Amino acid sequence: MTTGAEGSALLRWIATIGLMVIVAIPVLFIVIQAIFPNIGSGSFAAPFSLFLKTLADPELIGLGRNTLFLGVGTLFCAALLAVPLAALRALYRIPGALIWDAILLIPFMIPPYIAALGWIMTLQPRGYLEQLTGINLAPLLFSVPGIMIIMGLNTFSVVYFVLSRTFETIGARYSDVGRVFGAGQWRSFWRITFPLAMPGLAASLLLVFAMSIEEYGTPAALGRRIGFEVLVTGIENRISEWPIDLPGAATLSLVLVLLALAAFMVQRWLLTRRDYRIVGGKPQANDKRDLGVWRWPVTLWFAFVAFLATGLPILAILATALSRTISGGLALSNLGLDNFQQLLGVGSDGLVALGNSLALGAVTALFAGLLGAITAYSVVKGRGRLRIVLDGLSITPNALPGVVVAVGIILAWNQPWLPITPYNTPFILLLAYICILLPQPVRYATASLHQLGDNLEAAARVSGSGPLRAFWRIILPLILPSMITAMILVFAVASRELVASLLVAPVGFQTIAVFIWQQFDQGSMGLGMAMAFSAVVITTLIPLALISLLKRLSHGNVAGLN
Amino acid sequence: MRNLILALTAGLMATTAAHADITVYSAGPGSLAKNLIKGFTAKTGIKANLFQATTGKVMARLEAESANPVADVVVSASWGTATDFEAKGLLLPYASPNAETVPDFLKTKGAVAQGVAGIIIGWNSKSGTPKPADWSDLAKPEYKDLVTLPDPAASGGTYTLVEAFTANGMTDVLEGLKANGAIVAGANKAALNPVLQGAKAAVFAGVDYITMGAAAKGESVEAIFPTSGTVVAPRPMMILKSSKQQEEAKKFIDYVLSAEGQNEVAKVYLMPSRTDIKVDRPLIGDLKLLSKDGAPSREDVLAGFKGIFN
Repeated sequence: MTTGAEGSALLRWIATIGLMVIVAIPVLFIVIQAIFPNIGSGSFAAPFSLFLKTLADPELIGLGRNTLFLGVGTLFCAALLAVPLAALRALYRIPGALIWDAILLIPFMIPPYIAALGWIMTLQPRGYLEQLTGINLAPLLFSVPGIMIIMGLNTFSVVYFVLSRTFETIGARYSDVGRVFGAGQWRSFWRITFPLAMPGLAASLLLVFAMSIEEYGTPAALGRRIGFEVLVTGIENRISEWPIDLPGAATLSLVLVLLALAAFMVQRWLLTRRDYRIVGGKPQANDKRDLGVWRWPVTLWFAFVAFLATGLPILAILATALSRTISGGLALSNLGLDNFQQLLGVGSDGLVALGNSLALGAVTALFAGLLGAITAYSVVKGRGRLRIVLDGLSITPNALPGVVVAVGIILAWNQPWLPITPYNTPFILLLAYICILLPQPVRYATASLHQLGDNLEAAARVSGSGPLRAFWRIILPLILPSMITAMILVFAVASRELVASLLVAPVGFQTIAVFIWQQFDQGSMGLGMAMAFSAVVITTLIPLALISLLKRLSHGNVAGLN
Repeated sequence: MRNLILALTAGLMATTAAHADITVYSAGPGSLAKNLIKGFTAKTGIKANLFQATTGKVMARLEAESANPVADVVVSASWGTATDFEAKGLLLPYASPNAETVPDFLKTKGAVAQGVAGIIIGWNSKSGTPKPADWSDLAKPEYKDLVTLPDPAASGGTYTLVEAFTANGMTDVLEGLKANGAIVAGANKAALNPVLQGAKAAVFAGVDYITMGAAAKGESVEAIFPTSGTVVAPRPMMILKSSKQQEEAKKFIDYVLSAEGQNEVAKVYLMPSRTDIKVDRPLIGDLKLLSKDGAPSREDVLAGFKGIFN
């Protein structure tokens, strides 16, 4: 069956070479490091000597079990929060819908380790909540369900955004058909709309699962207190505690990658069982229903979730940033703008770091977005065995802790025989960020491509355009709304990436996260939080401005931006 | 067009990687590392580039780079890293003329202390608890559930203290702490933060200069040197044998050990390594130090600690 949708060979080559350089090479060096413990100094001695020792460590079973448990629990919390909101947002007229979208975008802009610190500052004994209301929720915070809830709150927006766009594309048309044939509102949602949204749901839940088994900050800040160790904290301990155990860290990372690939296979299996193509022509007019009496309860629910996910961490960050001292508490005499003045002072390191991170974030978003779209296109519309390899490669970095990607990148790009290398230049951060963040645009593009019928492209080909032109003129514009969302996420996450930056940042180069970390390290919690707050505000405002600009330029023609 | 991009890229790489004369990898505190670099360049005209991170990250980067080392000088917060590097033959032997008044236990052939941190009790004076005087006070009922301690696996200072306790048969103090509800909380910062906010009253095995720095910023926290004795954590500086700028690297060590460099060290409340630099804080000579003689291996010390706290 040739539908004219086998894709362009050029695009397939771009995807293959891009993924090789950005993902496969560092991953290969991690595998080599796991097998040959002395590879760092160029020796292939004693292969597998530490590999088996690490795998035979009785702790490993516990770490693996905790990791799985945390991933599934977080996924469950995120789905519980996101699915109802996304369905309501897509199918009904929600008062202030755009405002809720904007607010729910913010959890991405808050670095998870900062959010975790915000929760600690708020909920620990004599924290902000107890200072204000006398309520002490510390036992919930420092517990395994507490970690899952907080990580669910940090990640559910992924599911919310993907799923609300998916539901919106499906629209009410199909369930209307169901209603005509006599199904009730609930029945037609559960039997028709919800199953059709499976690609989006599966893709976004896979992202949440991968993000949560790879996340370091929250389990480290909260889990260590209660002895809840996961694979990532085990890896981080091996890399940051003396004596350094790079081979052990590399081996544990491979276990983590296997976990993520298993989840990825489950997702593939779910998606290939059925046909989800629903976009067969130009976008349909979308008429959303009225909520009627449910208007206020639904709005209140949106407000409550938005407050938990966004309001509370932001307020905690702001409170700490405005405090002259931590021990002074929330007293009026202890509050002031001192930290912000110091941060934004003329010629301060903080401003340089902000500029560096924003520039890197923007360039990363552009490259990762484009490479992501091309990769997803080659995978979904291409043919042959290679595309499964490409798809697997594109999800791999999501399961690799940033610190391990960083080690792989140093091993790969600091070889003495390389004639020219990006190592020790800002380009190395670009390579690291694109590698770590590529899974986001790939997943988003894959989800929307799965809903795109082949006939549009075939029509273009029949009308005489080449595959490349069909991609540029037909496919890319149709998946653009999802891509813009993904690129905004990439921008936000790249501009505040911490763990990889700490390790591979070129000498003398500061980023936002490195600045924050150094302030914490010197005990200047307030100054660090002032930077975190400024970064969140800036990374939120820039995408919002961009979206409204795009909306004006496209006169509302781009679906999904409204 | 492609050639232009290639030329631009190569040019940009050349400028961003422009060789400063030496590269220094330093563990925190960042302000100290920055001021030392600034002062060194001002005095000698030699440029220096800085990579600053925790000891662990500095060591991980060195390890990953070992095929093609970038650093000339390394400053760590853990003395063990220096002895280990020395044993592996990675260090350039150097005796700085400015190291004459540095006590013998703070220098080896390849390393010399930049400064010294003391291990203390960090106590929140607004916590409503009596002021502790010794380690064992924190096992008393007044401090029930109110004590944190850094994980010795993550904090070199805490490790050294636990090591000395093990050597001197004082592990009953740790058992008392555990029985009193003390919690192990990550690295030094993670242990101090709850004490500042008042969730906990005291950090057992805090780092003196961090606590004093916080107090100087107005936090209600005090650094207390326990009566039964404590340990210190010297911060070794080393020149890597692989350095291609060894003369310049030696000048950097000289600068840090000069009166000017040692005063920068004292500014962040660390003890200067030179005994002839006088500053307004307890110095090494004023402290009662616990001996570590007869301590078991690192693995055994950590296993013993885990046995108590798990």
